[in-house]
Amino acid sequence: MMETGTMRESMRNAVTDNVFMPNETVISEIIEENSTIRTYTLRFTDRAAAFSFLPGQFVMLSVPGHGEAPISISSSPTSTDAIQLSVRRAGRLTSALHSMKAGEYVAVRGPYGVPFPVDELKGRDLLFVAGGIGLAPLRSLINYCRAKNGEYGKITLCYGSRSPSDIAFKNDLDAWQADGSVDVRLTVDVPERGWQGRTGLVTTLLDDLTINNSNSSALLCGPPVMIDAVISKLKESGMDSEQIITTLERNMKCGVGLCGHCHMEGVLICKDGPVFNVRTLENIMGATG
Amino acid sequence: MEKNILKKDHVRPFLRKLARNSRLIAPLRTSHGDLLYQEIESIDSSEIDLSEQPQESAKQFLFPQQEQLFTYQSTSNGFTFSPRKSGMPTVLFGLRSCDISAILYMDVIFLRSPRDHYYLQKRKDTIIIGIGCNEPWDNCFCNATRTGPFLEIGFDLQLTDLGDRFYVESGRAVGDEILKKWPQFFSPVTDEDEKLRYQLMLEARSGFKRHVHVETAFQKIADNSVSPSVWEHLARRCDGCGGCAYICPTCTCFTIFDRPLSPHTGERLRTWDACTHDGFTRMAGGHNPVNTATDRLKRRFMHKLYFDYKQFNRPGCVGCGRCVGICFGGVDIAMFVDMVCAEKRDQRQNATVIGDLLIEAGLITRKQLYKALEKRDRTGMPLGNILMEMGIVTKEDIANCLADKVERP
Ligand SMILES: Cc1cc2nc3c(=O)[nH]c(=O)nc-3n(C[C@H](O)[C@H](O)[C@H](O)COP(=O)(O)OP(=O)(O)OC[C@H]3O[C@@H](n4cnc5c(N)ncnc54)[C@H](O)[C@@H]3O)c2cc1C
Ligand code: SF4
Ligand code: FES
Repeated sequence: MMETGTMRESMRNAVTDNVFMPNETVISEIIEENSTIRTYTLRFTDRAAAFSFLPGQFVMLSVPGHGEAPISISSSPTSTDAIQLSVRRAGRLTSALHSMKAGEYVAVRGPYGVPFPVDELKGRDLLFVAGGIGLAPLRSLINYCRAKNGEYGKITLCYGSRSPSDIAFKNDLDAWQADGSVDVRLTVDVPERGWQGRTGLVTTLLDDLTINNSNSSALLCGPPVMIDAVISKLKESGMDSEQIITTLERNMKCGVGLCGHCHMEGVLICKDGPVFNVRTLENIMGATG
Repeated sequence: MEKNILKKDHVRPFLRKLARNSRLIAPLRTSHGDLLYQEIESIDSSEIDLSEQPQESAKQFLFPQQEQLFTYQSTSNGFTFSPRKSGMPTVLFGLRSCDISAILYMDVIFLRSPRDHYYLQKRKDTIIIGIGCNEPWDNCFCNATRTGPFLEIGFDLQLTDLGDRFYVESGRAVGDEILKKWPQFFSPVTDEDEKLRYQLMLEARSGFKRHVHVETAFQKIADNSVSPSVWEHLARRCDGCGGCAYICPTCTCFTIFDRPLSPHTGERLRTWDACTHDGFTRMAGGHNPVNTATDRLKRRFMHKLYFDYKQFNRPGCVGCGRCVGICFGGVDIAMFVDMVCAEKRDQRQNATVIGDLLIEAGLITRKQLYKALEKRDRTGMPLGNILMEMGIVTKEDIANCLADKVERP
């Protein structure tokens, strides 16, 4: 399945030969996920520019005048004719986006990167572990799996936030719990008044779970410290590193393997990633100590 | 492939014909005395100077230091993006073998999938006329990178300076066509020309003043036997100015940014970037996965001498020696290779000797050592204490390692 994404990419590039040109989209809806994260629904004004993608892929988002930034597609490819991006206000471009309203225009080019191995994951129990904005790419995959009724095993999500009021994607969390499609478990670093849930790092949620290692895969996205902690915990509990899948974040300028910014130990994260299984990462890092 | 003789008197009329509808780039002397590849406005009033290696490569003519990708205009119903038309037929004349090899390298980077439109537009109508180097310059080491002093491939035409005339060989169909199209400038090669050229090539090969053992360095990196003290030593001397990357004919990293020209219009540009800048990998919020000068230099030299070797079977350095001249800290690739090859235990610094000994003894990993060294740089604490604090080694481990060392012959 990884092949499909790349093949599609090369075919598309054969048609539109200038990869740097973005396509105009209009913001059709904005969801306020928390005080710093908003989900933008984007529609291509030229329908011919719409693309198909798989969960885990990203686009280069343009706010002309403010440049470009890599942003994961947070909607599922099973919902058509628009894409969603969930964006945390972090700097120049993302702040410019946050000041925009529905009806205004931005532009995107993509989709780029290796997606989650959706075919290989079929039939397996899926453990999602996310922190903060890290739920964005996983949201795409979770909704994809839900839409492919019965093709995937049991879905569990462990989601960590800084505080109860920082918990993002509440609509999704509620919907997933309401229809029982996802076993949602939350934790916060810093509790607030009235919070009855768990407090502590997302790894503490893992202690509650009994994971059937032979038929489970874990999908992680979040801050580097969280990822490291979760990987060691899962490996300790016997999960094969090939079944632990994560996404890497790097400064990216081109998104297509040309600019060199995302180079890591001989690998280009934008093209060879951002999705990697931990076994592959260990090999990459191990190659040079 | 065809061979011919071109009299030096004929160069000017030949180029006048060949570059009639093209931009012509060739080495010219500036009024300050610098020799640079430059665009030639008028062939009749320009003195092409093939006497030495130009100070910069020809990179900028296919991959300009700053280049517009497109302009944007915003209106109430959206954007108009207008891409820049960037192609133009070009004749690159008098290119050195290193500079041609660098173009072949750029072809690999920019023309694999997806292709870089702006590079392709300029590259596809480019004629390359090279000149072999009869006399390598002081810093050159293209013999070690197998990119000179004469080339077998990569050029359309290659010249050899035989004194009052050039020996011209064609390397591609385009070259053959050129020779056929303007026979008036060329005459047949005699046995004497062949002999002279052979002689010059032999002399050139033995004329290198520097011996930079690029392949040994690759092997040492591959064996993981480069001591951290090498990187550290270089890192201490690196100011992160990026000069080495800008001057390097194979450094192709760039950044992209927007420049507003009015409230509703602007342009998207790309400019050369350098992996030795500390902002190169920094992300929003300040997190930087390549956070120290040591890591950045490691990344730079490893890329050129290790990852490129592994991927393309040749180094990402073409041995032009330009970074040797440009870096005022002496942090150039030849220095790195020399240090790696010349490394001897007694030349290393004490702290890293301990580190290396602990690695040899299997008590710590190289990664742990780097982490500890990073902390040492930040805090100034002794390395041993840091490793102990990290819970990796005990005081006894360190003492034993040092004792072993003293006992060694
Ligand atoms: C594959 C990938 C997927 C991502 N998905 C999301 C997502 O779904 N939602 C989200 O909110 N954020 C995501 N990010 C992070 C997002 O790209 C950065 O927050 C964003 O670039 C910050 O841009 P800025 O202009 O607001 O910040 P500034 O700090 O002003 O950044 C200036 C420039 O630096 C570069 N840059 C800075 N930080 C990053 C970074 N973390 N990653 C890459 N380039 C960076 C960008 O080119 C940016 O334009 C993703 C990053 C990657 C690599
Ligand atoms: S690394 Fe230095 S010697 Fe090698 S090609 Fe680049 S500038 Fe020339
Ligand atoms: S972002 Fe440009 S090479 Fe990966």
